[in-house]
Amino acid sequence: MRLFLTGVLLAGASSLIKGEPSQITPVVNVNSRYVVESIEIAGQDQFTLSAGIHEQIQNLVGENLDPASLDELSERIRKEIHAKTVTYRIGRGDQPDQVKVNFEVTRRSIAFEVNVPKFLYHSTQGWTGVVEGVTGYGSSGVTFRLLSDNDELVERNTGILARYENKRLGTDRVRLGFQFESYHQSWNRTTRDVADPSALYRNRQNFEPTLTIQLAKPLTLTAGVSFERFQTQFPAARIESANAVVNTLRYHRLLEDSDAQKQVLDAGYSLRAATTLLSSDFGYARHHWNFSYTFSRDKQTLLVSFIGGVIAGRAPLYERYVLGNSSTLRGWNRFDIDPLGGNRMAHGSVEYRYHYFQVFYDAGAVWDHGKDATPRNSVGVGLRKDGFSLAVAFPLKDGRVDPVFIAGMNF
Amino acid sequence: MAWGGRLVTRRLWLAAGVSMPLGWSLAVPRLLIRREGDNLRISAPQIRFLTGKALDQLKNGISVGFISQILCCGNESGTSVFSRSGYRFVLSFDIWEQKYSATRLGPPMRSISRLSVPAAEAWCLDELAPIPPSLTPSRPFWIKLELRAEDPKESARIVGEPGINLTRLVDVFSRDPRNQQQQHWLETAGPLRLQDL
Repeated sequence: MRLFLTGVLLAGASSLIKGEPSQITPVVNVNSRYVVESIEIAGQDQFTLSAGIHEQIQNLVGENLDPASLDELSERIRKEIHAKTVTYRIGRGDQPDQVKVNFEVTRRSIAFEVNVPKFLYHSTQGWTGVVEGVTGYGSSGVTFRLLSDNDELVERNTGILARYENKRLGTDRVRLGFQFESYHQSWNRTTRDVADPSALYRNRQNFEPTLTIQLAKPLTLTAGVSFERFQTQFPAARIESANAVVNTLRYHRLLEDSDAQKQVLDAGYSLRAATTLLSSDFGYARHHWNFSYTFSRDKQTLLVSFIGGVIAGRAPLYERYVLGNSSTLRGWNRFDIDPLGGNRMAHGSVEYRYHYFQVFYDAGAVWDHGKDATPRNSVGVGLRKDGFSLAVAFPLKDGRVDPVFIAGMNF
Repeated sequence: MAWGGRLVTRRLWLAAGVSMPLGWSLAVPRLLIRREGDNLRISAPQIRFLTGKALDQLKNGISVGFISQILCCGNESGTSVFSRSGYRFVLSFDIWEQKYSATRLGPPMRSISRLSVPAAEAWCLDELAPIPPSLTPSRPFWIKLELRAEDPKESARIVGEPGINLTRLVDVFSRDPRNQQQQHWLETAGPLRLQDL
């Protein structure tokens, strides 16, 4: 009986194997013969994916399903947004023999990461370092920074920055942010020598709530209030405030013409207007414009940028414009140009990169209203890879060459 | 009486309905061993391994890999091993045709398509294993079939690999499943004698 049943089962199994089913060329996933109609990523309003990932997605659509590429894509998404898991499902497309791929992202309950947004050494100005911790839950994110910055402003500011941001306030188009900063200042000797002692301060704090609205897809408006106070050193310690209304209009657009070619356009205007209506001791309006265009093709990249600024009224030193740092008039020392900064500024830069190699030309001027502007130029070369950069810049002066070395990351 | 007679008839039908499949499943061995020349054909058409998470993945269009090993042992506990062979296969589910395909990762690599779930399971668990030279016709032996769903990370790696080496096979089956969801099956047949097959 047992042998009989065994025989029957074997015969049945054998007929299943040898019968209707057909032997085909070995493929691991039978759906590979179908064309990808679309790729959707669920919950994409919770995060932003890089242009590279969008490009990879576009490359997969219209091609035969390739599970290995989908695995690679899901891993790339997972790493980029620090997700817990990224999985995908394949379903029938709207057209016969086409399939849809739907990615699902599971975020970590609480993500935490440490970044170094900026770290550099400037041979004439010294060190600058910024370390930040970023954590988030859902659409909320918190950033905490420790920094000692001797690159951006007239002063060296050392202290902390804490920022909370809700990236989805009811709708995807509205973001809410609160930022708090507290810094201790130290001053370069040149600045101390020429500055009005009452203009120097030993520490300052800023609290800045902002609301960002997406007016159109590439256009955002940020509006808020900055409550800034600082303690002066001379002639006596006292608290002054520079409370201001802040507005920023930003246009950011990514243009991808083909697989190997990319163009990015970024433009913005920001206004900080301090007024006595906000109990400010200062009354001024600080206008700032920026424009940059990046064109990448294969290993080549061309960057063109322009910034300009005007301050109307009397503003504290941290608001004044400086040139001659790691991103403007590279090769110049900002304290040689103007140790107090200026209330007018214009700067342009052209940079060409080939693979790791870079060459750049900067031109600009910073001056005070009513005085003559002195244009300055500099050129430089360097190496750049994965955020790390090493550059040597030469200020174009009257027959002299004083090279300045700049090394670091993410600047 | 007539009423009682109908009741008895219903009960009989019910009992028969329950006991027949049960009897069938008990009567049919889960491992079928047959001699084919110098090989043993080992099949397990009753093992239902396309269930749970593996089946969900397949229905989502994702291929699922399995790894299997066949042990020919001199005792039931499996401590005395005459021979060991292993193979891997990957299943996928055709989104449009709603049928299963299976690929045995060789050598030799072979595939089959347009299968139902039981047919796919039967095709995957049907293997020829060489008879160990040390196995005499009268010597009792046991056959053990182990099957494990591959971890998705491992599955990604196995694509394109032609076969499996014994070192990796032992490594895979000697460790616990990575998590509770990793499915695992073990069937044993024996004692058997070559002279009886």
